[in-house]
Amino acid sequence: MRADAQVLKGHLDTLLLASLENGPRHGYAVKEALRAGSDARFDLPTGTIYPALRRLEAAGLLKGTWAEAGGRRRRTYELTPAGRRRLASDRIAWRDFASAVSAILEPAP
Amino acid sequence: MSALIDDYLAGLHRRLPAALAEEAAAGLLETYEHHLASGAGDQEAAHAALAEFGDLAIVAGEFTRQAPGRRAARLLLATGPVSGACWAAALILSRAWTWPVPATARLGFGAVLLLAVLALLAAATSRHNYQRTRLAMLASPVILTLDVTAVAAVVLAAPAPTLALRIAVAVSLGRIAFTAWTLPRLTAR
Repeated sequence: MRADAQVLKGHLDTLLLASLENGPRHGYAVKEALRAGSDARFDLPTGTIYPALRRLEAAGLLKGTWAEAGGRRRRTYELTPAGRRRLASDRIAWRDFASAVSAILEPAP
Repeated sequence: MSALIDDYLAGLHRRLPAALAEEAAAGLLETYEHHLASGAGDQEAAHAALAEFGDLAIVAGEFTRQAPGRRAARLLLATGPVSGACWAAALILSRAWTWPVPATARLGFGAVLLLAVLALLAAATSRHNYQRTRLAMLASPVILTLDVTAVAAVVLAAPAPTLALRIAVAVSLGRIAFTAWTLPRLTAR
């Protein structure tokens, strides 16, 4: 659904940070994690994940390192302490927002 | 390998710095191989991978819009008018035209500042051309040097700096710190 893609795009930074919460991943694995975690509704052009990862790295939220795997050089990303803090605060903000919307859309009977 | 994929990879390398192109290329190849491994024919796998990955213009454009040089240039341009207004006010209040600064130095300073601002404008407004965002790598050190020159001139030459001059110096020191902090990020790989 188109709306899903728009909403996901608005939260891309948070989703990228969350996909790295349990350890370092390279770009393709980040993309796979987003697709699996969103029931394949994540239909942004996956090539745009790489510039977003670079931007988060420049902002000090991720740390990227080149690693050799299967004869191909790939760039692996991991959360920095600042990235972990940002993810934690984004998560709280999302829960507050989601519970406020739920309270309006699904009032208790 | 499919000619479609080859063309796309060549396009990435033509439009982006090597490290960025290499990273995106590895992602596209992995997508393509994933489709091949799940039984698709060569053409079919190439079309599926490219559809999933996004047009070259979209991907290269996104790298450009999120380039550190473009962001640094935008921040410098956004703070430029504040710094410029502070210096203009301070110099007018101090009757700077009576200072013993040679005309060539004044003109030189103005010309270098103008060129640096034009380079920053080009970097800040680039939407599809990554190379243009790299102008910020040239212009930022120039702006830094101009700020240092202006501060040094006041500290060394102004007999009793007015309050306005002190404010202008403080604004410039802030920009010097910011520019020095962003410079290593512009060249990071």
